[in-house]
Amino acid sequence: MASPKRLYTVIAVLILVAVSLISVSFYFKSPEKTGFFRKITLEAAAPLGSAVNSALGSIGMAWNRYVLLVELEEKNRELERTVASLTREVNDRREMSLECIRLRGLIDMKNDVGFPAVAARVAGRNRLSVFRTVLINKGTADGIETGFPVVAAEGVAGRIIEVSWNVSKVLLLVDYNSNIDALVQRNRCQGVLQGAGSSGCELKYVQRSQDVQVGDVVISSGLDGIFPKGLLLGTVAAVEKKDSGLFQRIKVYPTLDIAKLEEVLVIVKKRGDGR
Amino acid sequence: MIYYLLLPVFSLLLLTIQITVFDIFFLAGVAPEISLILVIYAGFYLGIARGGALSVVLGFFMDCMTGVVPGFFVLSYMLIFLISNVVSFRVYAGGMIFATGFTLACVLLEKLLIILMYKALYGMNVLCDILNISFFQAVVTGVLAPAFFALFRRLEVLLSVWESRSSGQL
Repeated sequence: MASPKRLYTVIAVLILVAVSLISVSFYFKSPEKTGFFRKITLEAAAPLGSAVNSALGSIGMAWNRYVLLVELEEKNRELERTVASLTREVNDRREMSLECIRLRGLIDMKNDVGFPAVAARVAGRNRLSVFRTVLINKGTADGIETGFPVVAAEGVAGRIIEVSWNVSKVLLLVDYNSNIDALVQRNRCQGVLQGAGSSGCELKYVQRSQDVQVGDVVISSGLDGIFPKGLLLGTVAAVEKKDSGLFQRIKVYPTLDIAKLEEVLVIVKKRGDGR
Repeated sequence: MIYYLLLPVFSLLLLTIQITVFDIFFLAGVAPEISLILVIYAGFYLGIARGGALSVVLGFFMDCMTGVVPGFFVLSYMLIFLISNVVSFRVYAGGMIFATGFTLACVLLEKLLIILMYKALYGMNVLCDILNISFFQAVVTGVLAPAFFALFRRLEVLLSVWESRSSGQL
Protein backbone atom coordinates (compact mmCIF):
# COMPACT_ATOMS: atom_id res chain seq x y z
CA MET A 1 0.00 0.00 0.00
CA ALA A 2 1.28 3.46 -0.90
CA SER A 3 2.52 5.69 1.91
CA PRO A 4 0.44 8.80 2.74
CA LYS A 5 3.25 11.07 1.53
CA ARG A 6 3.49 9.38 -1.83
CA LEU A 7 -0.30 9.47 -2.13
CA TYR A 8 -0.29 13.18 -1.32
CA THR A 9 2.33 13.80 -3.98
CA VAL A 10 0.43 11.86 -6.60
CA ILE A 11 -2.78 13.72 -5.81
CA ALA A 12 -0.98 17.06 -5.91
CA VAL A 13 0.59 16.24 -9.25
CA LEU A 14 -2.74 15.13 -10.63
CA ILE A 15 -4.41 18.31 -9.44
CA LEU A 16 -1.67 20.44 -11.01
CA VAL A 17 -1.88 18.59 -14.30
CA ALA A 18 -5.64 18.91 -14.22
CA VAL A 19 -5.40 22.64 -13.57
CA SER A 20 -3.01 23.00 -16.46
CA LEU A 21 -5.18 21.06 -18.83
CA ILE A 22 -8.31 22.91 -17.73
CA SER A 23 -6.48 26.15 -18.29
CA VAL A 24 -5.62 25.13 -21.84
CA SER A 25 -9.02 23.68 -22.50
CA PHE A 26 -10.69 27.01 -21.72
CA TYR A 27 -8.89 28.48 -24.68
CA PHE A 28 -10.09 25.79 -27.04
CA LYS A 29 -13.60 26.05 -25.68
CA SER A 30 -13.97 29.78 -26.14
CA PRO A 31 -10.79 31.29 -27.59
CA GLU A 32 -12.24 34.79 -28.01
CA LYS A 33 -13.57 35.08 -24.49
CA THR A 34 -11.41 36.42 -21.71
CA GLY A 35 -11.94 34.69 -18.40
CA PHE A 36 -12.68 36.42 -15.13
CA PHE A 37 -9.34 35.63 -13.52
CA ARG A 38 -7.51 36.70 -16.63
CA LYS A 39 -9.38 39.99 -16.57
CA ILE A 40 -8.48 40.47 -12.90
CA THR A 41 -4.86 39.70 -13.66
CA LEU A 42 -4.75 42.08 -16.60
CA GLU A 43 -6.42 44.80 -14.54
CA ALA A 44 -3.82 44.35 -11.81
CA ALA A 45 -0.88 44.00 -14.14
CA ALA A 46 -1.61 47.08 -16.23
CA PRO A 47 -1.22 49.75 -13.50
CA LEU A 48 1.72 47.88 -12.02
CA GLY A 49 3.39 47.73 -15.40
CA SER A 50 2.64 51.35 -16.15
CA ALA A 51 4.02 52.39 -12.74
CA VAL A 52 7.22 50.46 -13.33
CA ASN A 53 7.39 51.77 -16.89
CA SER A 54 6.83 55.29 -15.65
CA ALA A 55 9.60 54.92 -13.07
CA LEU A 56 11.84 53.39 -15.69
CA GLY A 57 10.89 56.15 -18.10
CA SER A 58 11.90 58.76 -15.55
CA ILE A 59 15.16 56.98 -14.89
CA GLY A 60 15.71 56.55 -18.61
CA MET A 61 14.93 60.21 -19.23
CA ALA A 62 17.30 61.28 -16.45
CA TRP A 63 19.94 58.98 -17.88
CA ASN A 64 19.36 60.25 -21.40
CA ARG A 65 19.58 63.81 -20.17
CA TYR A 66 22.77 62.96 -18.33
CA VAL A 67 24.20 61.31 -21.41
CA LEU A 68 23.02 64.27 -23.48
CA LEU A 69 24.68 66.65 -21.04
CA VAL A 70 27.89 64.65 -21.16
CA GLU A 71 27.72 64.68 -24.95
CA LEU A 72 26.93 68.38 -24.91
CA GLU A 73 29.83 69.05 -22.59
CA GLU A 74 32.13 67.10 -24.86
CA LYS A 75 30.72 68.90 -27.90
CA ASN A 76 31.05 72.21 -26.09
CA ARG A 77 34.69 71.53 -25.30
CA GLU A 78 35.31 70.56 -28.89
CA LEU A 79 33.56 73.70 -30.10
CA GLU A 80 35.54 75.82 -27.66
CA ARG A 81 38.73 74.29 -29.00
CA THR A 82 37.56 74.97 -32.54
CA VAL A 83 36.60 78.55 -31.65
CA ALA A 84 39.98 79.12 -30.01
CA SER A 85 41.74 77.69 -33.05
CA LEU A 86 39.63 79.76 -35.45
CA THR A 87 40.10 82.88 -33.35
CA ARG A 88 43.85 82.38 -33.50
CA GLU A 89 43.62 81.87 -37.25
CA VAL A 90 41.44 84.95 -37.74
CA ASN A 91 43.82 86.95 -35.57
CA ASP A 92 46.79 85.73 -37.58
CA ARG A 93 45.03 86.65 -40.82
CA ARG A 94 44.07 90.04 -39.44
CA GLU A 95 47.65 90.62 -38.33
CA MET A 96 48.89 89.62 -41.76
CA SER A 97 46.39 91.95 -43.39
CA LEU A 98 47.36 94.86 -41.15
CA GLU A 99 51.03 94.12 -41.68
CA CYS A 100 50.40 94.13 -45.40
CA ILE A 101 48.77 97.54 -45.17
CA ARG A 102 51.65 98.89 -43.10
CA LEU A 103 54.27 97.45 -45.41
CA ARG A 104 52.44 98.83 -48.41
CA GLY A 105 52.56 102.22 -46.73
CA LEU A 106 56.27 101.79 -46.15
CA ILE A 107 56.83 100.85 -49.77
CA ASP A 108 54.89 103.92 -50.87
CA MET A 109 56.99 105.95 -48.50
CA LYS A 110 60.16 104.41 -49.83
CA ASN A 111 59.14 105.38 -53.35
CA ASP A 112 58.28 108.89 -52.22
CA VAL A 113 61.52 109.44 -50.32
CA GLY A 114 63.64 108.81 -53.34
CA PHE A 115 66.51 107.29 -51.39
CA PRO A 116 67.46 103.72 -50.95
CA ALA A 117 65.87 102.41 -47.78
CA VAL A 118 66.02 99.33 -45.58
CA ALA A 119 62.87 97.99 -44.01
CA ALA A 120 63.23 96.91 -40.41
CA ARG A 121 61.08 95.58 -37.66
CA VAL A 122 60.95 96.99 -34.17
CA ALA A 123 62.67 94.43 -32.01
CA GLY A 124 62.28 96.00 -28.62
CA ARG A 125 61.23 99.11 -26.83
CA ASN A 126 61.82 100.46 -23.39
CA ARG A 127 58.52 101.81 -22.19
CA LEU A 128 59.59 102.74 -18.68
CA SER A 129 62.70 104.74 -19.47
CA VAL A 130 62.74 108.49 -19.96
CA PHE A 131 64.80 107.85 -23.04
CA ARG A 132 62.50 107.31 -25.96
CA THR A 133 64.29 104.76 -28.05
CA VAL A 134 63.46 101.56 -29.86
CA LEU A 135 65.61 98.76 -31.21
CA ILE A 136 65.25 97.59 -34.79
CA ASN A 137 66.45 94.32 -36.29
CA LYS A 138 68.80 95.75 -38.89
CA GLY A 139 72.38 96.94 -38.44
CA THR A 140 75.64 97.52 -40.23
CA ALA A 141 75.22 94.24 -42.05
CA ASP A 142 72.35 95.89 -43.90
CA GLY A 143 74.22 99.10 -44.57
CA ILE A 144 72.79 101.07 -41.70
CA GLU A 145 74.94 103.71 -40.03
CA THR A 146 74.55 106.13 -37.17
CA GLY A 147 72.51 109.18 -38.04
CA PHE A 148 70.32 107.56 -40.68
CA PRO A 149 66.75 108.80 -40.56
CA VAL A 150 64.04 106.33 -39.64
CA VAL A 151 60.54 106.77 -41.00
CA ALA A 152 57.25 104.94 -40.89
CA ALA A 153 54.25 105.15 -43.19
CA GLU A 154 52.70 107.88 -41.01
CA GLY A 155 55.82 110.02 -40.81
CA VAL A 156 59.22 110.43 -39.21
CA ALA A 157 60.06 108.05 -36.39
CA GLY A 158 63.51 109.23 -35.42
CA ARG A 159 67.14 108.56 -36.25
CA ILE A 160 69.73 105.89 -35.67
CA ILE A 161 71.96 106.68 -32.70
CA GLU A 162 73.70 103.35 -32.19
CA VAL A 163 74.30 100.52 -34.54
CA SER A 164 75.68 97.03 -34.26
CA TRP A 165 75.88 94.28 -36.88
CA ASN A 166 72.24 93.31 -36.83
CA VAL A 167 70.56 95.68 -34.41
CA SER A 168 70.24 99.44 -34.32
CA LYS A 169 68.94 101.85 -31.75
CA VAL A 170 66.56 104.55 -32.92
CA LEU A 171 66.21 107.82 -31.06
CA LEU A 172 62.54 108.65 -31.46
CA LEU A 173 61.47 112.14 -32.36
CA VAL A 174 59.69 112.55 -29.02
CA ASP A 175 62.89 112.05 -27.04
CA TYR A 176 64.21 115.19 -25.36
CA ASN A 177 67.50 114.76 -27.25
CA SER A 178 65.79 114.74 -30.64
CA ASN A 179 66.03 117.92 -32.67
CA ILE A 180 64.78 118.06 -36.24
CA ASP A 181 64.79 121.09 -38.45
CA ALA A 182 61.16 121.64 -39.43
CA LEU A 183 58.79 123.73 -41.45
CA VAL A 184 55.17 124.64 -40.98
CA GLN A 185 53.77 123.39 -44.25
CA ARG A 186 51.12 126.10 -44.68
CA ASN A 187 53.28 129.23 -44.31
CA ARG A 188 56.78 127.69 -44.57
CA CYS A 189 57.94 129.25 -41.32
CA GLN A 190 60.95 127.42 -39.95
CA GLY A 191 61.75 126.07 -36.50
CA VAL A 192 63.33 123.17 -34.65
CA LEU A 193 61.14 120.32 -33.58
CA GLN A 194 62.35 119.10 -30.23
CA GLY A 195 61.08 116.04 -28.43
CA ALA A 196 59.07 116.62 -25.28
CA GLY A 197 58.64 113.10 -23.97
CA SER A 198 55.10 112.08 -23.24
CA SER A 199 53.83 115.52 -24.29
CA GLY A 200 54.90 114.89 -27.83
CA CYS A 201 57.12 117.57 -29.42
CA GLU A 202 57.67 121.28 -29.33
CA LEU A 203 58.38 123.47 -32.31
CA LYS A 204 60.98 125.94 -31.14
CA TYR A 205 62.48 129.12 -32.44
CA VAL A 206 59.45 130.25 -34.37
CA GLN A 207 59.14 134.01 -34.19
CA ARG A 208 56.14 135.59 -32.50
CA SER A 209 55.23 137.37 -35.67
CA GLN A 210 54.72 134.10 -37.57
CA ASP A 211 51.15 132.96 -38.06
CA VAL A 212 51.00 129.42 -36.79
CA GLN A 213 47.62 127.84 -36.12
CA VAL A 214 46.40 124.73 -34.43
CA GLY A 215 46.14 121.96 -37.01
CA ASP A 216 48.99 123.17 -39.16
CA VAL A 217 51.11 120.36 -40.53
CA VAL A 218 54.79 120.30 -39.62
CA ILE A 219 57.25 118.70 -42.02
CA SER A 220 61.01 118.24 -42.14
CA SER A 221 62.89 121.05 -43.80
CA GLY A 222 65.88 118.99 -44.90
CA LEU A 223 68.27 121.63 -43.61
CA ASP A 224 69.67 119.53 -40.78
CA GLY A 225 71.31 117.25 -43.29
CA ILE A 226 69.74 114.19 -41.71
CA PHE A 227 66.08 114.05 -42.69
CA PRO A 228 65.07 114.55 -46.30
CA LYS A 229 62.84 117.50 -46.95
CA GLY A 230 59.08 117.12 -46.79
CA LEU A 231 58.74 114.22 -44.38
CA LEU A 232 55.70 114.45 -42.18
CA LEU A 233 56.53 115.23 -38.54
CA GLY A 234 53.30 116.16 -36.84
CA THR A 235 50.46 118.65 -36.47
CA VAL A 236 50.27 121.74 -34.32
CA ALA A 237 48.25 121.05 -31.21
CA ALA A 238 48.60 124.30 -29.30
CA VAL A 239 50.13 127.71 -29.86
CA GLU A 240 51.15 129.97 -27.00
CA LYS A 241 52.38 133.49 -27.45
CA LYS A 242 53.73 135.09 -24.33
CA ASP A 243 53.69 138.85 -23.82
CA SER A 244 57.43 138.99 -23.73
CA GLY A 245 60.04 137.01 -25.66
CA LEU A 246 61.02 136.56 -29.26
CA PHE A 247 59.49 133.17 -29.94
CA GLN A 248 56.15 131.56 -29.53
CA ARG A 249 55.61 128.21 -27.90
CA ILE A 250 54.12 125.64 -30.25
CA LYS A 251 53.10 122.20 -29.15
CA VAL A 252 53.17 119.54 -31.87
CA TYR A 253 51.65 116.07 -31.80
CA PRO A 254 53.66 113.60 -33.87
CA THR A 255 51.62 112.03 -36.65
CA LEU A 256 53.25 108.75 -35.81
CA ASP A 257 51.90 106.78 -32.87
CA ILE A 258 55.11 105.73 -31.21
CA ALA A 259 53.40 103.09 -29.09
CA LYS A 260 52.14 101.34 -32.22
CA LEU A 261 55.39 101.47 -34.14
CA GLU A 262 56.15 98.04 -35.60
CA GLU A 263 57.80 98.37 -38.99
CA VAL A 264 60.06 101.20 -40.04
CA LEU A 265 62.10 102.24 -43.01
CA VAL A 266 65.70 103.28 -42.49
CA ILE A 267 66.71 105.70 -45.18
CA VAL A 268 70.21 104.95 -46.35
CA LYS A 269 71.33 108.51 -46.73
CA LYS A 270 74.72 109.99 -46.07
CA ARG A 271 74.75 113.17 -44.04
CA GLY A 272 74.38 116.14 -46.32
CA ASP A 273 72.69 114.32 -49.16
CA GLY A 274 69.86 116.50 -50.39
CA ARG A 275 66.86 115.56 -52.37
CA MET B 1 -0.70 30.34 4.56
CA ILE B 2 1.12 33.64 4.18
CA TYR B 3 3.07 32.06 1.36
CA TYR B 4 -0.09 31.36 -0.63
CA LEU B 5 -1.45 34.83 0.05
CA LEU B 6 1.73 36.55 -1.04
CA LEU B 7 2.27 34.25 -3.99
CA PRO B 8 0.05 36.09 -6.53
CA VAL B 9 1.33 39.50 -5.46
CA PHE B 10 5.01 38.59 -5.70
CA SER B 11 4.46 36.61 -8.87
CA LEU B 12 2.79 39.58 -10.51
CA LEU B 13 5.53 41.88 -9.30
CA LEU B 14 8.25 39.54 -10.53
CA LEU B 15 6.67 39.21 -13.95
CA THR B 16 6.15 42.94 -14.22
CA ILE B 17 9.80 43.51 -13.44
CA GLN B 18 10.80 40.76 -15.84
CA ILE B 19 8.76 42.22 -18.66
CA THR B 20 9.68 45.84 -18.06
CA VAL B 21 13.05 46.17 -16.34
CA PHE B 22 14.87 43.18 -17.79
CA ASP B 23 13.54 43.91 -21.22
CA ILE B 24 15.26 47.27 -21.06
CA PHE B 25 18.53 46.35 -19.42
CA PHE B 26 19.20 43.33 -21.56
CA LEU B 27 19.32 43.23 -25.30
CA ALA B 28 15.89 42.75 -26.82
CA GLY B 29 15.01 39.10 -27.04
CA VAL B 30 17.78 37.80 -24.84
CA ALA B 31 16.48 39.01 -21.50
CA PRO B 32 16.62 36.19 -18.93
CA GLU B 33 13.35 34.45 -18.10
CA ILE B 34 13.41 34.85 -14.34
CA SER B 35 10.01 33.23 -13.94
CA LEU B 36 11.35 30.04 -15.48
CA ILE B 37 14.37 30.08 -13.15
CA LEU B 38 11.93 30.42 -10.25
CA VAL B 39 9.91 27.47 -11.53
CA ILE B 40 13.07 25.35 -11.73
CA TYR B 41 14.06 26.53 -8.26
CA ALA B 42 10.62 25.57 -7.02
CA GLY B 43 11.06 22.14 -8.58
CA PHE B 44 14.42 21.69 -6.88
CA TYR B 45 13.79 23.07 -3.44
CA LEU B 46 10.09 23.67 -2.75
CA GLY B 47 7.56 21.01 -2.02
CA ILE B 48 5.12 19.69 -4.56
CA ALA B 49 2.23 21.82 -3.26
CA ARG B 50 4.10 25.08 -2.83
CA GLY B 51 6.19 24.66 -5.95
CA GLY B 52 3.20 23.50 -7.97
CA ALA B 53 1.09 26.45 -6.85
CA LEU B 54 3.93 28.79 -7.69
CA SER B 55 4.32 27.28 -11.15
CA VAL B 56 0.61 27.47 -11.87
CA VAL B 57 0.34 31.07 -10.70
CA LEU B 58 3.46 32.15 -12.60
CA GLY B 59 2.30 30.31 -15.71
CA PHE B 60 -1.15 31.84 -15.45
CA PHE B 61 0.22 35.35 -15.08
CA MET B 62 2.65 34.76 -17.93
CA ASP B 63 -0.26 33.61 -20.05
CA CYS B 64 -2.24 36.69 -19.14
CA MET B 65 0.57 39.15 -19.68
CA THR B 66 2.54 37.79 -22.57
CA GLY B 67 0.96 34.60 -23.81
CA VAL B 68 -0.88 34.17 -27.07
CA VAL B 69 -2.40 30.80 -26.29
CA PRO B 70 -3.93 30.83 -22.81
CA GLY B 71 -2.81 27.89 -20.78
CA PHE B 72 0.43 27.35 -22.65
CA PHE B 73 2.67 28.77 -19.94
CA VAL B 74 0.68 27.03 -17.21
CA LEU B 75 1.24 23.76 -19.01
CA SER B 76 4.88 24.30 -19.87
CA TYR B 77 5.79 25.67 -16.43
CA MET B 78 4.03 22.77 -14.83
CA LEU B 79 5.90 20.35 -17.02
CA ILE B 80 9.25 21.97 -16.24
CA PHE B 81 8.40 22.08 -12.55
CA LEU B 82 7.59 18.38 -12.51
CA ILE B 83 10.75 17.50 -14.43
CA SER B 84 12.82 19.61 -12.03
CA ASN B 85 11.12 18.01 -9.10
CA VAL B 86 11.83 14.53 -10.39
CA VAL B 87 15.42 15.42 -11.26
CA SER B 88 16.01 16.88 -7.79
CA PHE B 89 15.32 13.44 -6.31
CA ARG B 90 17.96 11.83 -8.52
CA VAL B 91 20.67 14.48 -8.80
CA TYR B 92 22.25 16.96 -6.41
CA ALA B 93 20.89 20.24 -7.77
CA GLY B 94 23.05 22.58 -5.69
CA GLY B 95 25.99 22.70 -8.10
CA MET B 96 26.48 25.84 -10.11
CA ILE B 97 27.32 24.08 -13.36
CA PHE B 98 24.37 21.74 -13.03
CA ALA B 99 22.01 24.64 -12.31
CA THR B 100 23.32 26.49 -15.35
CA GLY B 101 23.12 23.48 -17.66
CA PHE B 102 19.72 22.37 -16.44
CA THR B 103 18.24 25.87 -16.76
CA LEU B 104 19.67 26.15 -20.26
CA ALA B 105 18.05 22.83 -21.18
CA CYS B 106 14.71 23.92 -19.66
CA VAL B 107 14.69 27.18 -21.63
CA LEU B 108 15.37 25.24 -24.81
CA LEU B 109 12.61 22.80 -23.86
CA GLU B 110 10.19 25.65 -23.37
CA LYS B 111 11.11 27.05 -26.79
CA LEU B 112 10.68 23.61 -28.29
CA LEU B 113 7.20 23.45 -26.77
CA ILE B 114 6.42 26.81 -28.35
CA ILE B 115 7.59 25.56 -31.73
CA LEU B 116 5.52 22.41 -31.36
CA MET B 117 2.50 24.39 -30.21
CA TYR B 118 2.64 26.69 -33.21
CA LYS B 119 3.09 23.74 -35.51
CA ALA B 120 0.19 21.83 -33.93
CA LEU B 121 -2.26 24.68 -33.57
CA TYR B 122 -1.53 26.90 -36.54
CA GLY B 123 0.58 24.71 -38.79
CA MET B 124 3.32 27.34 -38.72
CA ASN B 125 7.04 26.66 -38.57
CA VAL B 126 8.58 29.21 -36.21
CA LEU B 127 11.81 27.29 -35.74
CA CYS B 128 14.03 29.83 -37.48
CA ASP B 129 12.47 32.81 -35.73
CA ILE B 130 12.83 31.29 -32.30
CA LEU B 131 16.25 29.73 -32.79
CA ASN B 132 17.71 33.11 -33.65
CA ILE B 133 17.14 34.37 -30.15
CA SER B 134 16.31 31.38 -27.99
CA PHE B 135 19.82 29.99 -27.77
CA PHE B 136 21.24 33.29 -26.53
CA GLN B 137 18.32 33.67 -24.15
CA ALA B 138 18.92 30.14 -22.87
CA VAL B 139 22.60 30.90 -22.32
CA VAL B 140 21.87 34.18 -20.53
CA THR B 141 19.18 32.57 -18.36
CA GLY B 142 21.43 29.60 -17.61
CA VAL B 143 24.38 31.77 -16.67
CA LEU B 144 22.27 33.89 -14.37
CA ALA B 145 20.43 30.94 -12.82
CA PRO B 146 22.90 30.22 -9.95
CA ALA B 147 22.79 33.85 -8.86
CA PHE B 148 18.99 33.86 -8.88
CA PHE B 149 18.94 30.54 -7.06
CA ALA B 150 20.99 32.14 -4.29
CA LEU B 151 18.66 35.14 -4.24
CA PHE B 152 15.53 32.98 -4.11
CA ARG B 153 17.04 30.90 -1.31
CA ARG B 154 17.58 34.04 0.76
CA LEU B 155 14.04 35.20 0.07
CA GLU B 156 12.75 31.77 1.04
CA VAL B 157 14.66 31.94 4.33
CA LEU B 158 13.26 35.40 5.02
CA LEU B 159 9.75 34.20 4.25
CA SER B 160 10.19 31.18 6.49
CA VAL B 161 11.35 33.39 9.36
CA TRP B 162 8.40 35.70 8.79
CA GLU B 163 5.97 32.79 8.70
CA SER B 164 7.46 31.36 11.88
CA ARG B 165 7.15 34.71 13.64
CA SER B 166 3.59 35.16 12.44
CA SER B 167 2.60 31.76 13.70
CA GLY B 168 4.33 32.42 17.05
CA GLN B 169 6.94 29.72 16.72
CA LEU B 170 9.86 32.15 17.25
